[in-house]
Amino acid sequence: MSVYVHSVSMTKFGNSENTSLKDLMLAASREALEEARELKIDAVFVGNYMGGSLANQEILGAIVANDLGLGPIPTAKLEGACASGGIALRQGILGILSGEYESVLVVGVEKMKHASTATVTQFINSAMDQTTNERYAGLTFPGFFGVVANRYFYETGANKSHLAKLALKNRENALQNPLAQFRKPATLEEIMNARMITDPLGLFDCSPITDGAAAVVLSRKPSDIKILASAQASGPTMMQDAIDLLSLPAIRISGQQAYEKAGVSPEDIDVVEIHDCFSMTEMLAIEELGFFPKLEGWLAIEQGKTCVNGEKPVNTSGGLLSRGHPIGATGVAQFYQLVLQLRGHAPNQLEKQPRLALAQNLGGTGSYSVVHILERV
Amino acid sequence: MKVYECCGVESVTKKVYCSTCRQEIKNEREVPDEGTVYSYTVIHIAPADYAHLAPYTVALVQLKDSTAKLTVRIQESVQIGDPVQLDQIADGTYIYQKVRTA
Repeated sequence: MSVYVHSVSMTKFGNSENTSLKDLMLAASREALEEARELKIDAVFVGNYMGGSLANQEILGAIVANDLGLGPIPTAKLEGACASGGIALRQGILGILSGEYESVLVVGVEKMKHASTATVTQFINSAMDQTTNERYAGLTFPGFFGVVANRYFYETGANKSHLAKLALKNRENALQNPLAQFRKPATLEEIMNARMITDPLGLFDCSPITDGAAAVVLSRKPSDIKILASAQASGPTMMQDAIDLLSLPAIRISGQQAYEKAGVSPEDIDVVEIHDCFSMTEMLAIEELGFFPKLEGWLAIEQGKTCVNGEKPVNTSGGLLSRGHPIGATGVAQFYQLVLQLRGHAPNQLEKQPRLALAQNLGGTGSYSVVHILERV
Repeated sequence: MKVYECCGVESVTKKVYCSTCRQEIKNEREVPDEGTVYSYTVIHIAPADYAHLAPYTVALVQLKDSTAKLTVRIQESVQIGDPVQLDQIADGTYIYQKVRTA
């Protein structure tokens, strides 16, 4: 049995001051359902991380079923920090593969902009083990990737300019994406000199606080987009437990499993959406996914290999850094961009219409990684 | 400083079972409180609870005589490779300082 993508949708990412979490979720769901009207939805999977803590709203699945007239079908919310959306997609796929459902709706959503940066930083910290000395030391998420970046610089020839170049690539991609949060051009100099968040990561190295939602309808009924593989792996929940600080094993393992299931290799992938919560994260991920040798991702960045016209285009949507990162929606929004690429009408559409696409969604300090491979059939 | 070990993996965090042999982790030993800075960051944007401390340094310390690493807060600027030692443990935080040479 195979699973196919029937429709994708996403809201404009950014500041949705006057729209509730619920309305964002319903808007994306509705658009995806409209495009797949011929299918009867058998279950709903919602990717969301902070609905309870930041928007005081849970029971998201039941709200979708009720307000969109889907009937008394089963629903669930999936949480895996920033990988919540990817995990929701995977649970939808597994539900179809089990034979229990024919068609499912997967929607990812987050509403964050109404809270202060300090509050959001505090709640995001719940994606690290909060019972240990690491929490008490005052480590944050950007802090973790700052520590990783300084070590990466120490062990390679890379420096802050390589991270800046990567961030600039994603910003330039977002300029062409009407749904992206940041559509204002930036310069390398501006990125290099921006306000420091967690040394050496500055403002442009960190994904923003974003409101937004994205949705996908999946079915065992054939369509033009087939899901070739869905894989997920776990990794350390603390920085001090990383065996190799410059490796995110969950990405490597979920990638390897996905390639094996799909019967393809990294060289076969035409277009990629990677979880660039920080510029440093994309650097490690392009290595862990086998696109470039370990500790040589910075050379690929220097040579522009991950640009839209490069040999391995990464984050043609603008990525988390510039498309925006409404946490629970991110994994689903990756599908949105890739399906558009495969169908030939994406922002930053590749000149040669791609056939194979890979999405990688990360949660925590490499605690969760989900990889999906899509094929145009 | 106590470290816990099984199948060659040492950690300052006590976990229940070993992921290699699946047995309960029982080996523990004392190692020196000192080490070297493996990497670090300076946190300028802190969570609400720590905003009054910012900017502050969080370092990952490679403990001496062990493969385990420890996440600590340091009140001064450091570089990778700097020798550091425990200053105090306050509210669950390991606060380290650079080793002073006489």
